[in-house]
Amino acid sequence: MSPLTETVGRRTFLRMLGSAGPAAAAAACSPVPPERIIPYVIPPDDVVPGIATWYASVCGECPTGCGVLVKTREGRAIKVEGNPRHPVNRGGLCVRGQSSLQGLYDPDRYREPLRRREGEGRDGLAPVSWDDAETEVAERIAALRAEGRGDRIAVVTPALTGTLDALIDRWCQAVGGARRLRYETYAWEAMRAANDALFGRAAAPYHDFSRAELVVSFSADFLETWLASVAHARDYADARRPDGSTTGARARAVHFEPRLSLTASNADEWVAIEPGSEGAIAAAMVQVIVAEGRAQVEDEAGLERIAGVVADWTPQTAAERSGVPAERIAELARAFSDPVAGAGRTLAAGGAVAASGSDGAEAAAAVALLNYVAGNIGATVRMAPETMWDGAATYADMTSLAEAMHAGEIDLLVLHQVNPVHTMPAAADFAGAMEQVPLAVAIASSPNDTTARADIVLPAHTPLESWGDHVLATGVEGLMQPAMRPLYDTRHTGDIFLAVGRAALADAQADATAAETGDNEVPATLPDGEFYDVLRERWRALQAARIAAEAAAAPDEVEAPDDAEAPEPQDFEDFWADAIRRGGLWWLVEPEPVSLNDSFDGLDFGALARDAAGTGNGRALTLLPYPSLHFYDGRAANRPWLQEIPDPILKATWGSWIELHPETAAAIGAEENQLVTVESDHGRVEATVLLNLHLHAGAAAMPIGQGQTAAGRYASGRGANPLALLDPVPAGASRGLRFAGTRVDLTPRELHRPVHRLQGTFDQHGRGLARAVTQQALDAGDIPHEEEHLTLNPPLVHPEHRWGMAIDIDACTGCNACVAACYAENNVPTLGADQMQWRRAMSWLRIDRFVEPTADPGATGATGGETRFLPMLCQHCDHAPCETVCPTYATYHTDEGLNAQVYNRCVGTRYCANNCPYKVRRFNWFQAEFPDPLPLQLNPDVTPRSAGVMEKCTFCVQRIAEGRDLARDEDRPMQDGDVTPACAQTCPAQAIVFGDLNDPNSRVSQLSADARGYHALSETNTRPGVTYLRKVLR
Amino acid sequence: MNGSGAAVGAAGNITSGAAAAGVRYARIDADILRTMRPPGIAYLGALALALGGLTFGAYAFSVQWRAGLGVAGYQHPIYWGVYITNFVFWVGIAHSGTLISAVLFLFRARWRTAVARASEAMTVFAVMTAGLFPIIHIGRPWFFYWLIPYPNERQLWVNFRSPLVWDVFAISTYLTVSAMFLYLGLIPDIAAARDRTTDWRKPIYRVLALGWDGSTRRWRHYTALYAFFAALATPLVVSVHSVVSWDFAMSILPGWHSTIFAPYFVAGAIFSGLAMVITLLIPLRRLLGLEEYITIHHFENLAKMIILTSMIVGYAYMVEFFIAWYSGSPYEQAAFYDRMFGQYRLFTWAMLTCNVIVPLFLFAKRIRTSLPALFVISLLVNVGMWLERFVIIVTSLSHDFNPANWAGIYTPTWVEGAITLGAFSMFFFLFLVFVKNFPAVSITEMKEASDLG
Repeated sequence: MSPLTETVGRRTFLRMLGSAGPAAAAAACSPVPPERIIPYVIPPDDVVPGIATWYASVCGECPTGCGVLVKTREGRAIKVEGNPRHPVNRGGLCVRGQSSLQGLYDPDRYREPLRRREGEGRDGLAPVSWDDAETEVAERIAALRAEGRGDRIAVVTPALTGTLDALIDRWCQAVGGARRLRYETYAWEAMRAANDALFGRAAAPYHDFSRAELVVSFSADFLETWLASVAHARDYADARRPDGSTTGARARAVHFEPRLSLTASNADEWVAIEPGSEGAIAAAMVQVIVAEGRAQVEDEAGLERIAGVVADWTPQTAAERSGVPAERIAELARAFSDPVAGAGRTLAAGGAVAASGSDGAEAAAAVALLNYVAGNIGATVRMAPETMWDGAATYADMTSLAEAMHAGEIDLLVLHQVNPVHTMPAAADFAGAMEQVPLAVAIASSPNDTTARADIVLPAHTPLESWGDHVLATGVEGLMQPAMRPLYDTRHTGDIFLAVGRAALADAQADATAAETGDNEVPATLPDGEFYDVLRERWRALQAARIAAEAAAAPDEVEAPDDAEAPEPQDFEDFWADAIRRGGLWWLVEPEPVSLNDSFDGLDFGALARDAAGTGNGRALTLLPYPSLHFYDGRAANRPWLQEIPDPILKATWGSWIELHPETAAAIGAEENQLVTVESDHGRVEATVLLNLHLHAGAAAMPIGQGQTAAGRYASGRGANPLALLDPVPAGASRGLRFAGTRVDLTPRELHRPVHRLQGTFDQHGRGLARAVTQQALDAGDIPHEEEHLTLNPPLVHPEHRWGMAIDIDACTGCNACVAACYAENNVPTLGADQMQWRRAMSWLRIDRFVEPTADPGATGATGGETRFLPMLCQHCDHAPCETVCPTYATYHTDEGLNAQVYNRCVGTRYCANNCPYKVRRFNWFQAEFPDPLPLQLNPDVTPRSAGVMEKCTFCVQRIAEGRDLARDEDRPMQDGDVTPACAQTCPAQAIVFGDLNDPNSRVSQLSADARGYHALSETNTRPGVTYLRKVLR
Repeated sequence: MNGSGAAVGAAGNITSGAAAAGVRYARIDADILRTMRPPGIAYLGALALALGGLTFGAYAFSVQWRAGLGVAGYQHPIYWGVYITNFVFWVGIAHSGTLISAVLFLFRARWRTAVARASEAMTVFAVMTAGLFPIIHIGRPWFFYWLIPYPNERQLWVNFRSPLVWDVFAISTYLTVSAMFLYLGLIPDIAAARDRTTDWRKPIYRVLALGWDGSTRRWRHYTALYAFFAALATPLVVSVHSVVSWDFAMSILPGWHSTIFAPYFVAGAIFSGLAMVITLLIPLRRLLGLEEYITIHHFENLAKMIILTSMIVGYAYMVEFFIAWYSGSPYEQAAFYDRMFGQYRLFTWAMLTCNVIVPLFLFAKRIRTSLPALFVISLLVNVGMWLERFVIIVTSLSHDFNPANWAGIYTPTWVEGAITLGAFSMFFFLFLVFVKNFPAVSITEMKEASDLG
């Protein structure tokens, strides 16, 4: 008996009919649930629709932790740019940093906690509530702790720093002494071990390229992944300005490496050497400097010790080992020790992944000694009191963890944002070890090969959603703040540790048997509050320490960079707000004076000679695995931008490969794009052959980062993982992974698995697209002047502005950062691997790579080449060939000199693209697809394009409009610097300058009038708005 | 002298001549109108085949319409491919019709009579086919009308500097004039058909015949108008394909940017059109039983014109290569070197063989009077001319100023193949429908010709 049936009278019935009828009808009519549009009745303070809000934060893509500014619109992050006030990157940001948005909006991100269910196989992870997941982990911890077996817990994190690192350490103690590893694939063990043995400081020093007059790199990819690469790129470019305008160093660079890497491409001289002979060359240079009495240090005893260890390495023996002529080594050594500007103005870079064989530590030590005898330690090579690398685990720590896991000594494994299954050699069998662990917990944002094997996955915020701090080294405290609310049901890593830890400890304390664990000396406490509170506590302490330090220092000794004039606020809230706004806190730190140890214990310089051939001597080729510029160690592989933007050297997309010299390939009967089986003593993978002329003929190079199986839709099943081939046993002195020195055999298969390249030839056929001038000719003013071509057309009038760009191809390192920035800023779609066979990449800005033939770089079979990178974008020609041929006026010239494209008016005849001599126009072959949640990244100021229309670089016209609005709001004319396109903004080398050519004082006008300036394909008389500055041959 | 004697003879035998003419006329009427009788199995089979191909092409286009142009084999930087090749090819095919019917009419080349109608029809259908390709080719075909200047409230206008707009005018003008020219010549024949048809087509013929009654006054107007249209169409033979050639010549692309393109393309167009006429007529006269009207003499004359235009085209090739070398421009030189020896060299050599070498066989009278040989040669010329357009478009685009863009080999996809097949099918379909419903040989002109012996 419902009350309704009893009491419904006429009026009630009608009333119900009136309300329920339409509601039922509306519900019935709508196939999808109605959306609720809620207006901002009370608008949030910091969201003004249409106006971007910027948040200073720290990039989380590699251990360096550059400062970033995150641009948000209507509450979502749409762009990441380098923080100009950050002392490391100074406004620049690399290709990976630009792509961090696609880490945030990764369509394959973990959106909720997952638990492995019995019988559901390897991918049997099913959603579970946070409470259940955390409780299960907490109970396990409580049980272990109660049994006094807290040491059977292992926590593997990346090389964290700052608050989170301290918190996890404290957590590990609180749960009863859990093992803690700060695991990084590239932990620079060789360099740290060498510095430890030589100077008693297991440091990865800061290398100041800006002051170096001569840079000698021993396979160190310092413009790619080696330490603070963005800072290096800036310093390197500054040091090499041909007019000496920035630091006056006018640096020359020599690069020893078996392969013409990106960094080698940017050196003035690439010397192809025998793989693994870096240490021998460095040692020989040391030997020459010491023997000839050229050492720049006052340390007789030390020099004697040094002379002792390098005694075997005369230039002749090094020449035999490396293939570099002895005289060349000796000459270089003399130049290195006696720079024009005085001692300490050269720089040797070593200890990189490519030189990390079994003699990695000794090779790094030889390089460090080279810096030492040249007086560079403390000058161009500086060691801060503390760096983030000090506590990083070595690879050996990881293998012993794996052994412990295998032995059943680990009951609970917590893996936070690491992927050892992929980044450790297959023979180390971390995957198998994980199976021996009763409970493996992954705290991760996105899936990878390791999290796929975990029992519980706890989804963590990405760096762009997180609070945090990052201490690169003493004096560089980056402060990370969330740029937007978390996308999904994820939690901060710190809060996960706090919640799990508290639950575990609460159980333990509630338990009467807790008293029995009293023999644990570690205080079983965790800090109060959320991670945010813990973070603020640390910064409160930091403020106090700074105030104390400044009071101690005489005022004239303190010189803060950039914003020294800002008075230090005393109130913590002011200090905090200021730090958040600035993106951190940094102060100048005097480099620690270091002195040579009395003995070089732990180093065995004999290794330099012994391991010439590496392991697996019977095998034909030496494997050269190299860190990927785009994917680092593979952590960034599931990002379509990074997959589709071509590799800077091979211009290959969406995949990985094995590089062979054409002659080597011919010898084994393999051709481009053919699949080969690569076999070492420790593993076997299959990889696609790509030919590379500029490679040692006895070597095979493979990029690290691909070959993952469960890392999301873009990365899974793509390419091959060279790390799977490596020797699992750590190197002797460094305890690091032996990246170098593995020998492999290649067996071609009757199968082609193409990796599509976007550039077919690197020969510019003498066409003068990427031009060069020698330093002598430049100094003498002897540069061929470009003649003005005649025209019958009247000159174009640009009444107010004529936007233009100057690109210094001498500074450009080809690092692809601008390309990624352009993708992010302009909603440029990616099309996927398949479409690359037709080279349909949509990039508005690409980097053409041209290699000019040179003499062969040594007797190694490698072909010589001098590389020129030419960023190619719409040249915004005054006489644009594209404009006249468009039948619908979809492309036309604005009176500000922009070659504009009206998407709505374009019918897609594509005549404009045919008639563009630079071929920078891109056609929408399909409707672009952005799988959720990638559309959240799209810049609302830039129209997404539909299928069938042409698009191209706009000089970031939306930024020009923004600059104009800004000037108008401030009631002033536009001035130089009001507008910076995304590419120019991010360029670590500051190779791109944008501005108004109508303003004779603008930087772009001055650069365009530079003696090195020229226009690409000027024969076509297109009168471009982009001026290139010639590369300088030193 | 011969002509005046015949005229005197004709005047002297006016009555017997008229009677004889009456019989002759009746036979011509009967022979030609017989071709319009209900079709046989061969015809229906051919029609079904054509319709099937057309449907397949339409399906392929619908796939492309929905998915985007990416389903075609375009690659950076080859932004034009098979569709534009087809466009230029069909415009070229369209040319010989006007040449034969208008230019040869004005020159009083009487042998044209037998082949004029078929080639005029071919012209119209070829232009119709050609006209589809710019639409198929563009990225947003639903907006093709934006290429046409029409008044609109947003004051949008086309860019008259663009050769593509000139193209729109050239093609639409050509289609209008050639369709009217075809129709005009058809009027007396439609009247004849109207008078003898009893089936469902009769009312259609009645409307189309425009009340033709064969009176002297109508004949006078008809002949004047026909001559007038012939005069109007003649410059179009030159202008239309000149404009089409400017699609390329007005660009700055090495391999396209050349002043000889206009005459070169016109000659090529006529060359390919003549070959297509031969290709069509040889089976057609068999199919319709017109061996008596379309004789070996006609084919021989067409073959002679093929020799002439082939040599013009061959000369143009030589000039192109010579100028590329003589220009000193590295871009031009590289483009033509690549055309000869690059990855598309087989296409180039096939084109040169088909267009320059093969037609030389026609110098031999035995070959040019042998229908099988002629048929094979005409097919090869068609292939060669299609390849010529393909080579010009694709090799030039693939090898332009910036070597960083130099592409891999352009491979058309099934969609492009199906649409090309569909275009050929559509052309043959229209042609088959035409020859069954309209006199494939001009009755009027055949009678006129029979009068003149």
